[in-house]
Amino acid sequence: MHSQSQLSLAEWDERYAELKRLGLQEPSYGGPISRHVAEGDLRLRRLKYDPSWAALNLWNFLLTEEDRLRTARQRGSKIVGTMKDLGTIPVMAYSLPNLVAFYPDGAWWIPCVMELSAGLLKVADDLGIDDSFCPVRAMLGAFVTEAHFPRPDLLVCSVGAVCDDFSAIAQRLPGLGHAVHWWEIPHRREPDKDEKAVALPGGAEAPSAQVDFVRGELEGVRTQLETLAESTLDDTALSAGIAMANRIRRSLRELRHLVFTAPSSPLPALELLVAEMLAIHFCSDRRETLRVLQDLLTEVRSRIESQEDEPDDGRIRVFWVNPVADLRAMNLFEACGGRLAGTDFLFAHALDEIPEDLAPLDALARTALADPMVGSGQQRAERICRDAQTFGAEAVLISRIPGASHCALESSLIADTVSRELDLPVVEIEVPPLCDAMLPTLQTRMEALVEVARARRKP
Amino acid sequence: MICAGIDAGSRAIKVVLIDDRALTVAGSGIVAQGVHQKELAAELLNQTLKEAGATHHDIRNSVATGYGRNTVALADTTITEITCHARGVHHQQPEARTVIDIGGQDSKLLHLSENGHVRDFAMNDRCAAGTGRFLEVVSEQLEVALIDIGALAAKADAPASISSMCVVFAETEIIGLLAAGESPENIVAGVQASIATRTAAMSGGRVNGPIVFTGGVAMIPGMAEALEVALGDRITIADKPQLTGALGAALLAAEQQ
Repeated sequence: MHSQSQLSLAEWDERYAELKRLGLQEPSYGGPISRHVAEGDLRLRRLKYDPSWAALNLWNFLLTEEDRLRTARQRGSKIVGTMKDLGTIPVMAYSLPNLVAFYPDGAWWIPCVMELSAGLLKVADDLGIDDSFCPVRAMLGAFVTEAHFPRPDLLVCSVGAVCDDFSAIAQRLPGLGHAVHWWEIPHRREPDKDEKAVALPGGAEAPSAQVDFVRGELEGVRTQLETLAESTLDDTALSAGIAMANRIRRSLRELRHLVFTAPSSPLPALELLVAEMLAIHFCSDRRETLRVLQDLLTEVRSRIESQEDEPDDGRIRVFWVNPVADLRAMNLFEACGGRLAGTDFLFAHALDEIPEDLAPLDALARTALADPMVGSGQQRAERICRDAQTFGAEAVLISRIPGASHCALESSLIADTVSRELDLPVVEIEVPPLCDAMLPTLQTRMEALVEVARARRKP
Repeated sequence: MICAGIDAGSRAIKVVLIDDRALTVAGSGIVAQGVHQKELAAELLNQTLKEAGATHHDIRNSVATGYGRNTVALADTTITEITCHARGVHHQQPEARTVIDIGGQDSKLLHLSENGHVRDFAMNDRCAAGTGRFLEVVSEQLEVALIDIGALAAKADAPASISSMCVVFAETEIIGLLAAGESPENIVAGVQASIATRTAAMSGGRVNGPIVFTGGVAMIPGMAEALEVALGDRITIADKPQLTGALGAALLAAEQQ
C-alpha cells in the first residue's frame, strides 16, 4: 500500500542521496525536494511524498516553473499569462514558436506552499481584496511583488460565466500596467428545441450559436497571440498543438484510470492532484510535461503489476470534488483511510480530449464551453455522479475553499445530487490555505466519511 | 469484563463503562475539559473505575471518541463521534432514524438506517453560532445560569430575531438588542430559535423520524422544543444525552474482538 511507504522530506533526502549513489540520472531541474524549502517553500516540510523517482521529477518540475519562465525570457521568448480558462488558451499559445504560457491563477497556492511568508495575501488586503474573496487574490499580490513569475508580455483572461471573485481581481491588473486581452465565455445553456445542438467534450451540449460565438472570441485571441509572436498561427500549427495537448490529456486519462481502479492505490492523492494540474498550462514546458507524466505512468503500471494476486487495500474509495488550498489535506485524507476513486478539481474539461476531427478553433471553442464552471452546477453534479459511478466510488468528499463563492454555492447542490442519484455518503469540508489548526476538525469529517462508507460494506 | 468509552469533547470529557456481555452500564463520569486533556481523561477513567469497583485489569477494550480522541493515549482505538453517537442512540432507541447532536463547539445531524448504521451526516463547520458555545455566551452576557435559560425563554412573548452567522457578531447584536430595550426572555428565546434553525438547515429538508437529541445542549430546557418548531417534528431527548457518545464508544469497544 503506497501510504505506508510515503516519505517525509527528511526521508526523501536520505533516499535521494541513496539514489544518487546508485547513479540517478536527473533532468536539469533535478535535486532533492528539500532544496525548495531554502527557496521559501516551507510547506514542503509538512507533506508526505511518494517515494518514486518519477514523483521526485514531478515535484521538481512543478517547483521550478519560475526558473523556466525566466530562462525563456532570457532566451527571447514571449511570455503569456493565460488566466481563468483553465486549459484552452495555453493550447493555442504553445502552438506558436517563441511563446511560453503560464497560469498566474496558480499563485493561489503560494500562501500555502510558502506558509504565508511571501505576504501575498497581505498585499491583496492592502488593495482592498480581503479574505472575503477567494485565495486566488494571492495572484494580485504576486503581480504587485513580481517575485514569483516574470512580468508577462501579455495576459489573456476569460470573463463572463467565470468566477466573480476572479474577475474582480483580474480587473485590477490593467491598473498595474498589464496588457490584458479579455475574451468572453458565455454561460453554457441547454439548446432550445429549435436550435442546433453541438456535442461538447465530456458529454454536455451547447447551442451551435454559442460555439460560434466562442470561436469568434478565440479568433480574437489568435490575433493577439500572432501579434505577440510575430508569427502566423494557422490551422496546421493549431492542429499540431491540439494533437500534442491530447497526448498529454491521454496520458492523464490513463494515469487517472489506473489510479482510480487499481485494487490498491498505486499513487498518492497528493501526487495525482499535482499531475492533474499539469493539464492546465503544462507547467511552462509542454514536452517535459509529457515526459514527467509518462514516467509516472510507467511507475504506476509497474506498481499495479506487482500488486497482482494481492488483496484490495481495503481503503474507502472516495470521489474528490474541488482542489484544496492546503496540500496537506490530501495527505490527511489517506491517513484517515481514504483513497481516490475519481476527481473533479474544477477543470474536468482540461482532461477531456480536444476533438481532432474538427476545425481546430471550433474544437477549442467546444472545449472551452465544456468548462464545468461555465455550465450549470447541476450539469457539473451530474457529471460527478457519472464519473463516481464509473470509478466505483463509495463516498464523495466536497472540499470548499474559504471565500471562493463558486465552491460554496455548488457544494450543496452537488451533495444533494450525489445523495439522491447515487445514495452515497457525502461530506463537505472547508480547507483554508493553512489548515493546521483545522486538522482535528478535518480529520473527524474524513474519518467519519470513511467509517460510514465502511459500515455500508457490511451485509 | 468491562469495556470503556471515553468521549473527549470540546467542553467536557465523558466516560462510560459497560459490562461487555450484558451491555449494561457499569459506571459513568464527566469532567470539564481542560488544557491537559490526556491527564484529565486518565483521572476520570480511574475515578469511574474506582466508583464501579473495578480496575484497569478489568477493561477488555476501550474506544476514545470526540474532538480530542487522539489525545486519549490510554484508549485502544479511536472512532469518530459520528459513529459513536449513532451507536449509542441505536442501543437506547433502535427505532431512531435521525440523531441531532449539539455539543459545546459543533453540531451534527445523522441519518440512521434500520440497522443503526449512519447513512449520511452533516456537521456545522462555519462558526459556533449553531452550538452550545452560543448559549454559553448568551448566559454570560445576560448573567443567567445556563440551566435557567430554558425557563427564561419560556416567558418570551416575541422571540428576538438573531440574524448573525457568527457568535462574535451575534454577541454584538445581543448588546444592541439589550440597548434597544429588548427583554432577556425574548433574546434567549431568539438565540435558541437561531441555533435550532441552523441545525435544521443541516438536514437539507430530509429528516425522518423518530428524531433523538443528544449532546450537552440537549439538557438545556427549551432547546428540544425550539428544534421541534424548526423541524416541524417531534423530538425525543436521549437518556443522559451528554453521555451518548461515550456510551456508543463503549458499545463499539464491546463489539470489537
